[in-house]
Amino acid sequence: MITNNEITGAEIILQALKDQEVDTIFGYPGGAVLPIYDSIFGQNFLKHVLVRQEAGAVHAAEGYARSSGKVGVLLVTSGPGVTNVVTGLTDALMDSIPVVCISGQVPSHLIGTDAFQECDTTGITRPCTKHNYLVKDVNKLSETIHEAFEIARSGRPGPVLIDVPKDVQFAKAKYIPKSEVTFKSHRIKSGSSEIDIQFIEKLVEHIQQSKKPVFYVGGGCLNSGPQASHELMKLVQKTNIPVTTTLHGLGCYPGEDPKSLAMLGMHGTYEANLAMNECDLMINVGARFDDRVTGRLDAFSPNSTKFHFDIDQSSINKNVKVDYHTNTDITLSLRAINEHIESRGVNFNQSQYDQWWSQIEEWRSKNSLFYEQGDEVIKPQHAISRLYELTNQKDTFITTEVGQHQMWAAQYYKFSKPNRWITSGGLGTMGFGMPAAIGAQMANPEALVIDIAGEASFLMNIQEIATAVQYKLPIKIFILNNEYMGMVRQWQELLHGSRYSESYVDALPDFKKLAESFNAVGVRAKNLSELDNAINEMISVDRPVIADIWVDKKENCFPMIPSGAAHNEMLLSKYDKEKPENQEKGKVLV
Amino acid sequence: MSNASVYPTPINAFKQSKRSVLSVIVDNEPGILARIVGLFSGRGYNIEALNVTVVDVENNLSRITIETLGEERVIKQIISQLEKLVPVHSATNLANLEESYEAEICLVKIEFDNDDQDQKILNFADIYRTRTVQKRQYLVVYEISGTSERINKFLDDLTTISGIKVELVRSGPIGLGI
Repeated sequence: MITNNEITGAEIILQALKDQEVDTIFGYPGGAVLPIYDSIFGQNFLKHVLVRQEAGAVHAAEGYARSSGKVGVLLVTSGPGVTNVVTGLTDALMDSIPVVCISGQVPSHLIGTDAFQECDTTGITRPCTKHNYLVKDVNKLSETIHEAFEIARSGRPGPVLIDVPKDVQFAKAKYIPKSEVTFKSHRIKSGSSEIDIQFIEKLVEHIQQSKKPVFYVGGGCLNSGPQASHELMKLVQKTNIPVTTTLHGLGCYPGEDPKSLAMLGMHGTYEANLAMNECDLMINVGARFDDRVTGRLDAFSPNSTKFHFDIDQSSINKNVKVDYHTNTDITLSLRAINEHIESRGVNFNQSQYDQWWSQIEEWRSKNSLFYEQGDEVIKPQHAISRLYELTNQKDTFITTEVGQHQMWAAQYYKFSKPNRWITSGGLGTMGFGMPAAIGAQMANPEALVIDIAGEASFLMNIQEIATAVQYKLPIKIFILNNEYMGMVRQWQELLHGSRYSESYVDALPDFKKLAESFNAVGVRAKNLSELDNAINEMISVDRPVIADIWVDKKENCFPMIPSGAAHNEMLLSKYDKEKPENQEKGKVLV
Repeated sequence: MSNASVYPTPINAFKQSKRSVLSVIVDNEPGILARIVGLFSGRGYNIEALNVTVVDVENNLSRITIETLGEERVIKQIISQLEKLVPVHSATNLANLEESYEAEICLVKIEFDNDDQDQKILNFADIYRTRTVQKRQYLVVYEISGTSERINKFLDDLTTISGIKVELVRSGPIGLGI
């Protein structure tokens, strides 16, 4: 019986989004989502951003989520609409980004008939989402959407997909508000909310006894919220322990602080990696011992007692065996540690780590991020350093594509706050940065949003510049143009006898003219004397800008721990004659 | 002609491996089996046997029993990964319980062509206390249940009788903690 308060599935979706306080949705229409688009028309709480390809929608949703701490939402049609977001969903899964994707599906009675624009959406996206649904009954639609949002943001966040057949979008049911839905506890894997007091006592005890401790901070600290960074800083100030962060941990601890050893891992600093190698106490706060961080596992930090904070039980002892762990939310745990220290009046001997710090200073004096900027050709590292100097007074968000420029950005741009750094780490998705910048700008309209790009990555989702122009999003695309797929070229040089197979990008567009053809602004710097002007012009224009920065074509990203090597087997620069011992072995790794 | 598979036989890969039986309670919803099977194939784990049935109609729960091979560390990781799946209530390694019981059921069809074979088959059937499902001239179908090991032994014994044709189906082990 249809009563007055029944509404269509499409309207239920809109109601649920409103209830979930969604204000922005990225999407692209098509046959199987027309009823939802009809509901979007004529409402005013939800801003729809029309992307130019669905891949752009999912990366924009990721950028929105990372820069705001909220769930990113996208809407795509069936078939190719969905297959185009598979990469982005995988990206969000790898980097633990909360995203909800609503996809249209062919009408229920056509499912399984190889209908036009039909694909097995839940089948295809099952391994690349945290969870997914095919909603066949409109009466279950409200609850499903609310559960999807809860799953996306709880515990270790991730992408959730809801596939809605077209007939379900037309069918009518009563809307069930969020406040009336109770979730089954086993379905929301939110980690423990209980403080593990034994873990805390052990950790404090170990901190007091250790001679060479180090904090190893990852994206989990970011996902726990800005309070986690705040508690971390308090703890670091009290204990005087050095901090290194993963690629995703950048910003969780201020990069300019003297206790920061900057990033660790394959392209991390000398001091960070050697501190990890030689420490006697490793405190892992929300990092997952990724292969880019650990290097050769059997030589990874051989003499340390390892403590691991991770909300995801499956991250414990997956790659590296740890001595103590807790699955409680990081903010809660760190706060409890700080409170424990205060209430028990635990004192830390400030000179306890003097020797350790002087060792670290010695490593630091190697100046592993040194580069030589000549008079003419712009060094890519210098371009990032100048970008940092000229933008760090503003509230700046940096997104990146994937490759050398990404690593240089991580090395030379210093972040003082969490959520300002948005990059594709786990999956390493070229084409991520520009749509992510669109998402970040939507979430932070007043902020300066810059996509540090390489010309090859930028070309992968170049169509989205039209999106930025349409919505007057003044994002800046800062291209370190070396005409190569730089990281591929670097590996070919180091591991494949400088045989640059297919890594040179011939027939590049004129990026300045390209910008103009999209009604964006193009600027260019061909040499050092033009660099600062180009950056300043880029920042001052209140429109989307493509800055084409011509950099040294042959520059490599150092320091580098080659695949299969250990932390203490780093290459520091091109002058470093020591070739990695495991070169052949490293070649087969990625 | 070689019958070799294009996939290597993973004998050496499982040298350190232990057989484990995992018991997983899940919401009985579409795609749950695919999620579990996909987790195993995607992460390179091994499924030796698999059994799925609804066990609680009222609460819509199924119990999935998976026999797998792996080092202790890998089994722990499998359990953690299973517990991360949204519809999974619990995943237990039966070997870690103080008390658990296992059983498997097997149907065996045996075709033969003389009385001597018949006698030998009957003898084994008697020793293993099989249940006769069907018997006619030169054909018998038995049902045997118990631990997988017991069924293996029965099947091994049958191979000592020459000239008979055996076809069989096994449920894979199911198990319950006490």
